[in-house]
Amino acid sequence: MSVFCLRSTAAVMLWCLGLACAPAVLAQQAAPPTAAAAAAREAGTDGRQGTFKAVQGDVTVVRGNVRTAALVAGGVQATDRIVTGPKSAASLTLRDGTVLSVGPDSVMDLSTFDFNATTQEGNVLVGLLRGSLRMATGLIAKVKPEQVKVTTPTTVIGVRGTDFIVEENP
Amino acid sequence: MTRAPYPLLLLLALAACAPATRVTLLPQEGKPTAAVEVQSKSARVVLGQPYQVAEVRERGEVAEKQTNASDVQKRHGQLLSVQPAAEQRFTLFFMPGGSALTPESTAALADVLSRAIERPGGEIVVIGHTDRVGTVESNDALSLQRAQAVRQLVIGRGFDAARVDAVGRGEREPTVPTADEVDEPKNRRAEIVVR
Repeated sequence: MSVFCLRSTAAVMLWCLGLACAPAVLAQQAAPPTAAAAAAREAGTDGRQGTFKAVQGDVTVVRGNVRTAALVAGGVQATDRIVTGPKSAASLTLRDGTVLSVGPDSVMDLSTFDFNATTQEGNVLVGLLRGSLRMATGLIAKVKPEQVKVTTPTTVIGVRGTDFIVEENP
Repeated sequence: MTRAPYPLLLLLALAACAPATRVTLLPQEGKPTAAVEVQSKSARVVLGQPYQVAEVRERGEVAEKQTNASDVQKRHGQLLSVQPAAEQRFTLFFMPGGSALTPESTAALADVLSRAIERPGGEIVVIGHTDRVGTVESNDALSLQRAQAVRQLVIGRGFDAARVDAVGRGEREPTVPTADEVDEPKNRRAEIVVR
């Protein structure tokens, strides 16, 4: 049995894709916009917390009930969900310099992101429901690493200024 | 007896023993103390060595393993391929007493712009800094004003406003550490991150 366990679980992943994964929808409270965010919006930004750097294949951004195709240079906001299809992937940079890459057949939630650029304090909470994620942490982790977390259904991952990969096989 | 169920059984067996979550620490350039902490409902493991792996089972047991660069490349080729290029940093200086750049820095800004334009989804972050003359609050405001002035220059040259951020760091990060209330031109600057 353990011999199997050492193999890549790609076959299992494909098998899982046949199942309707219905992740629990968390009640999402809109965070009050910070003064900095408000100032940024006045000056012509769109309130984005992240920007897509690369998009390969089929990548969707789910914002509330709206699904849009991800585009390079497009924005990402807190509570967005990013869904990648087979042979698809995307990367994005968050405002504090955190880099997130999402691998094929994945579902990732940017559950929480707030960042005070002046003090460099903030919070990052990313949820991986399926697939793979690479995170290279930014300024928030440098200042207060305990404010950066990645969760999967079974695991909470805390960081100390780090570059790592997480995989989830539901 | 059909042979159809066997592949399914094999998959079920694999699924039963596959870890639910797998965390791999990648090498940390210039950060030897970097680590991740992997916490399941019943166990906690800290990964501190490059290519160390923690595998978490459904029930919460955590197993530590070791992988290497070539296996990670095989397993995650596409994930690794979308990683953006490392950010670049530049420093611009202001004429005394205002938000106007020095002539040299005005010329350097053109180079910053062209680098940002050639990056897919390129962003410019302008971070204003002051010296330690004045209060923390007034320096926060002044450094933000300077950053916003540079941001407007960049937008004026046609760069997408949604991808230019202006940040004021005040007197928190001096290039040259000084006592409070010391006039230091090297600290009156804007750092530009292109990413």
